[in-house]
Amino acid sequence: MPEGILCNKTPVNTKEQLDAVLADKGGKQYYEEMKHLDIDVEKLQKSLQAGFKSRMRTWLEMCAHCGLCADTCFFYLANRKDPTQVPSYKILSTLGKIVKNNGKVDNAHMRYCMDVAWSKCTCCNRCGSFCPYGIDMGIMFGYLRGLCFSQGFVPWELKIGSGMHRIFRAQMDVTSEDWVETCEWMAEEQQDEWPGLEIPVDKVGADIMYTCNAREPKHYPEDIAEAAILFHLAGENWTVPSQGWEQTSLTMFAGDWEGCKMMVQNVYAAIDRLKPKRVLGTECGHAHRATVIEGPYWVGRKDGRPPVPYLHYTEWVAEALRTGKIKIDPAKRIKVPVTLQDSCNYIRNYGLKDVTREIMSYLVEPGYFVEMCPNKEHNFCCGGGGGINGLGIYRQQRNVGLKVKRDQILATGCKLIVSPCHNCWDAIRDLEEVYELGIKQTFLKPLLIEMALVPEHLKPKEEEE
Amino acid sequence: MFYQFITGPLLWLSFGIFFIGLTVRVVNYIRGLDWQADRVAYRTHLGMGLKGALQSIVHWLVPFWSVGWRAKPLYTTIFFVFHIGLVVTPLFLQGHAVLLKERWGINWPTIPMPLADLLTIGVMVTAVCIAIRRFALPEVRIVTTAYDYFLLLITVTPFATGFLSVYQAPNPGGIADFWIYAHILSGELLLVAIPFTKLFHVVGYFLSRGQLGMDFGIKRAFKAKGGFAW
Repeated sequence: MPEGILCNKTPVNTKEQLDAVLADKGGKQYYEEMKHLDIDVEKLQKSLQAGFKSRMRTWLEMCAHCGLCADTCFFYLANRKDPTQVPSYKILSTLGKIVKNNGKVDNAHMRYCMDVAWSKCTCCNRCGSFCPYGIDMGIMFGYLRGLCFSQGFVPWELKIGSGMHRIFRAQMDVTSEDWVETCEWMAEEQQDEWPGLEIPVDKVGADIMYTCNAREPKHYPEDIAEAAILFHLAGENWTVPSQGWEQTSLTMFAGDWEGCKMMVQNVYAAIDRLKPKRVLGTECGHAHRATVIEGPYWVGRKDGRPPVPYLHYTEWVAEALRTGKIKIDPAKRIKVPVTLQDSCNYIRNYGLKDVTREIMSYLVEPGYFVEMCPNKEHNFCCGGGGGINGLGIYRQQRNVGLKVKRDQILATGCKLIVSPCHNCWDAIRDLEEVYELGIKQTFLKPLLIEMALVPEHLKPKEEEE
Repeated sequence: MFYQFITGPLLWLSFGIFFIGLTVRVVNYIRGLDWQADRVAYRTHLGMGLKGALQSIVHWLVPFWSVGWRAKPLYTTIFFVFHIGLVVTPLFLQGHAVLLKERWGINWPTIPMPLADLLTIGVMVTAVCIAIRRFALPEVRIVTTAYDYFLLLITVTPFATGFLSVYQAPNPGGIADFWIYAHILSGELLLVAIPFTKLFHVVGYFLSRGQLGMDFGIKRAFKAKGGFAW
């Protein structure tokens, strides 16, 4: 059976393989090879037997074809109500066909499945909350991504992303040494303004172990500095692990379940090693989904919970503000109309809607916070979820999909969007680039640092004679 | 003789297939739930799960209670008129209760005939609306198959034929009691079809909604006060 040199059923596990795929800019050869990839029907049948059980089987079989899911999907709305964007159609014509034919499908169908699974669904799960039967097509698309990945039909960037996780245990080529160095560098840089600030690495028994997104050390190290400043301000006893610090999971976006498990095991191993009371993740939605919501299941924890309480960043911020660990200068509260982006991964799929609003109540002068419509668990995906933000071949589809979020933001009349999620933040930044609305998105960390009252003892000492 | 057969052994057979079939489906569904594949810790957090399941089921069982129902008021009205008629009419029809009384002496509660008529007309009218919706709306047409129309037809036939027999419509081809026979046979066909088609949602609804409710109760909304706002 023809397997490509770059595009094949084997995940990227070595640096050599990774470099070869990376060298194929934009995946030109990769996608060419994909057109000739054979389907391993037997493997597909085995996967179906093992994983396609009564829940999903019933969903596909029972779907009443009522079309109520159509209007719930932002891709359907953004594409002028194109019927091929109806969620039930999308899943029935892809996974539905694989199941109906018991895996006997051809290359063209698998490529169609890949297109639909990554460019017409961000696994935001909104349709599932509007289906009278509770058919969650986001979950089925996640499953379909797994089938596609196992057959080699995965977008080029996610083949790389999965490989990065497998090799570096991080979504980017950041080694443990790079990470620790970045932490040291960031701590050093802050000494003038924040004397005594530390980024303690591998401290055993801390109250909080902090985990983040590899793009922070790689591209935005100031984000780590900001996290450190806020812990310093709040007087937290915290640490970062030298290994197991990366919380994100491109393997989840890729449907690489084996890679997902490796990634979560790596973080949980750090918890075992450092025995923190709690773990805190950065302002990222999918990282929370991967490590805290789905992760326990991937590594086989029967209680479905991480080994110790694992907070989303917003939970810690709300707590710090509530308990007065961080105090906001009332004069510095936001006094322009501001709205909040509800991330699908920890709002719809974890229930933190009240926590984020509690934070807004501290940061925003009363009367200036404007809700999006719809919001909370019924909010629309930013348009950049599920990995689509990073997929070159689906850039156009992603940009069209952003229209729904654009219109939601325009309707609020706000120019400032608080967006405590990396993917949402990126999507809104790109939205501004494409549609030029004059809006600005922000994480919580810079806002908090700007607004927090700094206790005297933390301020830099005046130069002494 | 024929009447005795279709209201005797054939009816028993139909009910047998209906009940056994649905029981098998429920058992198979629950046995096929897999905490790790579904990524829902059903057993560990059973209490949270059952609470979530109940919330999820009830919100969608009551007209206009869920956000989803409120988003589509016209469809929701059609949907509930159709389903309430489908369930209430056969269960509490005086004509059916009479049979129970005559054969086993059971006193079964009934609804007044005019109400039964109204509900039956409601079922027939809304069935036509549902059929029209299927080909009128592009987003529904694209997922609709001939099978969907077939299921709608076998669902409504017992109601239409029952209605015609009550009002003694002329018998086609001069066959005596044509409509009552057609009513009984189509009713039995429906009973038999339910476990084998997507009409099994008579139980499947509760299973599927319950499962998603458990998912949200245990995992995806356990941090939200009061659970997921369906």
